[in-house]
Amino acid sequence: ALSAGSRLLRGRGGHVVIRFALGGCTNRPFFRIVAANSRRARDGKYLEQLGCLDPLPNAHGEKVAGLNLERLRYWLGCGAQLSRPAEKLLGLAGFLPLHPMTVTGAERLRRRRQREQQPEAAPADGSAEPGTDS
Amino acid sequence: PAWAPRAVPARGRKTRHDPPAKSKAGRVKLPPPVDPEELLVVQERYRQHRLVLSALRAEFRAEVLQKKREERLAAEGSPEELEEHRRLMAWNEEENARQRARREERLRKEEEEQKRRKSEIAEKRARKMEAFLEEKEKEVLQLQEEAKNFITPENLEARIEECLDNPRNYNFAIDKDGRIVRRTVLS
Repeated sequence: ALSAGSRLLRGRGGHVVIRFALGGCTNRPFFRIVAANSRRARDGKYLEQLGCLDPLPNAHGEKVAGLNLERLRYWLGCGAQLSRPAEKLLGLAGFLPLHPMTVTGAERLRRRRQREQQPEAAPADGSAEPGTDS
Repeated sequence: PAWAPRAVPARGRKTRHDPPAKSKAGRVKLPPPVDPEELLVVQERYRQHRLVLSALRAEFRAEVLQKKREERLAAEGSPEELEEHRRLMAWNEEENARQRARREERLRKEEEEQKRRKSEIAEKRARKMEAFLEEKEKEVLQLQEEAKNFITPENLEARIEECLDNPRNYNFAIDKDGRIVRRTVLS
């Protein structure tokens, strides 16, 4: 794996990241939450698997994820970085504080839904009233 | 395949070194619109989030170090040694606390000393200033008094007349015993 000009040669740097490694088949993704060197391929050799995530909802409509919190604490204590989706997942799980963009995304969605409902309600009322009046 | 329609532009047919098409000559690429209030809110949230994250990381780091230390100690020595070590560490802590207390006492006393000295110096300086001012006041008053006796161009004539009218005799005789005689031939 270490050739003369490979990106994994020692002497330049690289850090541990906790990120999602994609696996599965066509139209059926499956993520493994993995602690790996940042310079490795996404699905390449990792240091340790810390959990998994199934992005497709199951029969009961739930998205299932598994986490190894003990080892997560160890790796975070050793100074591992987190990728954004990993941070969001851990925030939703309650291990870390909620990511700001989760909250912001939820607010934006709510505002958009309200805006869509109000124009439906207002033209519906506006078209109904003149109809009843006249 | 390269000819498939894409929702987001990606490099299909052209490499990054090919020039853009003529139809894109007037294209102006703008960044996505940003709501400033939302931006402030989001920045504040990020700041808090990062604060919490760094605190958590510190916690985990301390945990990991503690575990490593315990492992090392357990690998090295027996329980008695560990007990001994803990006892000695506690005693060391107490000693440190005692020394700290003593040092703080000393520092506090020195500070008080300093303050007292400073206030003394300030008082002395104030007193000297007052004395100096008083001296100057006295001199000024004295000069004012003497100024009444000065000879001015207006007084000149009168004073000269006065001097000429009252001749003073400065002559006197003295002998070796120190007896002075002021009565002379002139007066």
